[in-house]
Amino acid sequence: MQTPSATLVSRFAMEVASACFVMAIGALVCFGAREFGIGWGDAGPQPGYFPFYVGLIIVIASCGVLVQALLQRRDRRESFLTREQGGRILAFFGPMLGFVVLSVLLGMYVALTIYLCSVMVVQGGYRFHKAAAISVATAVISYVVFEVWFLVPLLKGPLEAWLGVH
Amino acid sequence: MENFGNLMDGFGIALSFYHLALMAAGVLLGILVGVLPGLGAPNGVSLLLPLTFTMDPVSAIILLTSMYWGALFGGSTTSILFNIPGEPSSVATTFDGYPMAQQGKATQALTLAFMSAGTGALFGVVLITALSTWVAQFALKFSSPEYFAVYLLTFASFIGMGSASPFKAVVSMMLGFACAAVGMDGVSGNVRLTFGFTALISGISFLVAVIGLFGIGELLQTMEEGLRFEGLHARINIRDVFHAIYTLPKYWVTLLRSALIGCWMGITPGGPTAASFMSYGLAKRFARNKENFGKGDPNGVIAPETADHSAGTCAILPMLALGVPGSATAAVMMGGLMIWGLTPGPMLFIERPDFVWSLIASMYLGNVMAVVLVLATVPFFAAILRIPFSIIGPMIVVVCFIGAYTIAGSTLDLWLVLPFGILGYVFKKLDYPIAPMVLAMVLGDKAEDAFRQSMIFSKGSLGIFWTNSMLVASIMTIAMLLLFWPLIGKLIGRLRRAI
Repeated sequence: MQTPSATLVSRFAMEVASACFVMAIGALVCFGAREFGIGWGDAGPQPGYFPFYVGLIIVIASCGVLVQALLQRRDRRESFLTREQGGRILAFFGPMLGFVVLSVLLGMYVALTIYLCSVMVVQGGYRFHKAAAISVATAVISYVVFEVWFLVPLLKGPLEAWLGVH
Repeated sequence: MENFGNLMDGFGIALSFYHLALMAAGVLLGILVGVLPGLGAPNGVSLLLPLTFTMDPVSAIILLTSMYWGALFGGSTTSILFNIPGEPSSVATTFDGYPMAQQGKATQALTLAFMSAGTGALFGVVLITALSTWVAQFALKFSSPEYFAVYLLTFASFIGMGSASPFKAVVSMMLGFACAAVGMDGVSGNVRLTFGFTALISGISFLVAVIGLFGIGELLQTMEEGLRFEGLHARINIRDVFHAIYTLPKYWVTLLRSALIGCWMGITPGGPTAASFMSYGLAKRFARNKENFGKGDPNGVIAPETADHSAGTCAILPMLALGVPGSATAAVMMGGLMIWGLTPGPMLFIERPDFVWSLIASMYLGNVMAVVLVLATVPFFAAILRIPFSIIGPMIVVVCFIGAYTIAGSTLDLWLVLPFGILGYVFKKLDYPIAPMVLAMVLGDKAEDAFRQSMIFSKGSLGIFWTNSMLVASIMTIAMLLLFWPLIGKLIGRLRRAI
């Protein structure tokens, strides 16, 4: 099939990075828990007691993961992500991020129409009018299903306000 | 006999036109979710959950459980036809299911898979019918230390019985607990771990986490692999269907063994995925001609499917009777129960017997309906997969984000899905188990409350977990054994080698 593309990130690097990231989260939880006391009050454990130890266990366990990764380094020269895979991930994640930004700014109906249409045209190679028809139809169907049928309002933006749709 | 009477009352409620229609809708949605890669049972149920907030709890749980059955069936369809498991729990079905389909025996493979899955599910439901009242009565004697011990046992078994690195299981679980601790503390009323962000006061919803971890995480993985469905044409031949059903009783040993494995793994939180692999492995070990496995042996389809479904159904038992879910999807459903204002656990059997028994009755009906519907709709769903992924992928993205927004109508949830998605993708690739995180997020507050109440009882002595009753001592001992099993197992191995 395809020739294997060059490794972008090795598995070892990713193991270490994720262990360190998790460790940082654990430390953050410990730090945050100290706000309300991590010891014992008159009525048993203080509010920070449980989260503090949860954070501490995260730090200890991620140290374990780190040590394991270092010990197994020699047997493991796998790649985590090749250049080609990285490209695919980016091509998928980028527009998705754009969709969230647009949703917050313009509301979900407009955002999903723009998102679906542009992904289908740019990445799927569809003709514009076909892509536009499918995305507008999706937006209308979502409106009927959520707002009319299940009475669940979705995030709306300036366009809906202008049209007077609530 | 009391159970039988209760069950008949349950059938009385479940056998209404409205509920049957809900079951059919749930099963069909479930098959869709199971067939599409990137959408699985846990996040399918999460996406549907916000739409049930206004429904009657009985109707809501029937809809959600039916979706679960449908998803379990849908996952096998793609495994057999396309060699792409729609669900993690149907990975083992690809080993022999796809070779069978390649040999032109697709109908036979699908029928055997669905029928054995149905048999496995039936086994599970019968077990639930027989045991649930007894388990619930037993659990009525529980107080906080016992509850904490049961929670600990649940989490310890992930570490002791899981295939992942025990450190990674602990990390994943504790991250779940940390997420659960964010927001208002139920005991003291303090607002914890929000770091000044007012939007976090209400906490991080486990539904958002599930949508990110399972939905976006799996989509990223699917995208990375550059997915292509190169499957076989799905045409169902009625004569082949009946022929396959006719041959099913021949495999009764495999069926029985797999159902027992599934029931065990479902009640203990091993979950359907582990059950299906274990059952496949054992079927291969006990087979007369092992070399047929992997080349299209019907036993290799029947074993994982039966175990998968009996585990899936049995996971409901501890959720209902103890308030401890046996799988990620059961955890999501339990979260749903709490949102509808019900308390899962023994009191549910006393306060809402109508809810419990109509759910159990609907499990019989829903699974029968699922077998029929899934067989009837195979060509339709196989055709859906021929739609290019450049349309389906973004559509799934849209559904996931809409689902996240409908939980609480908060834009923060839209943002939160992204980091959970990346986390799910990275964790899955690095073999961190994700189910413990979801379980911890759902059970976090309850486990913490049980722990704090026990500590208040005992004035701060951990000894209460050993001295409160015989029961709590034995549960704690098993939990400790499981917790340190990776270490104990290694020691035993070393001793053996030394001898």
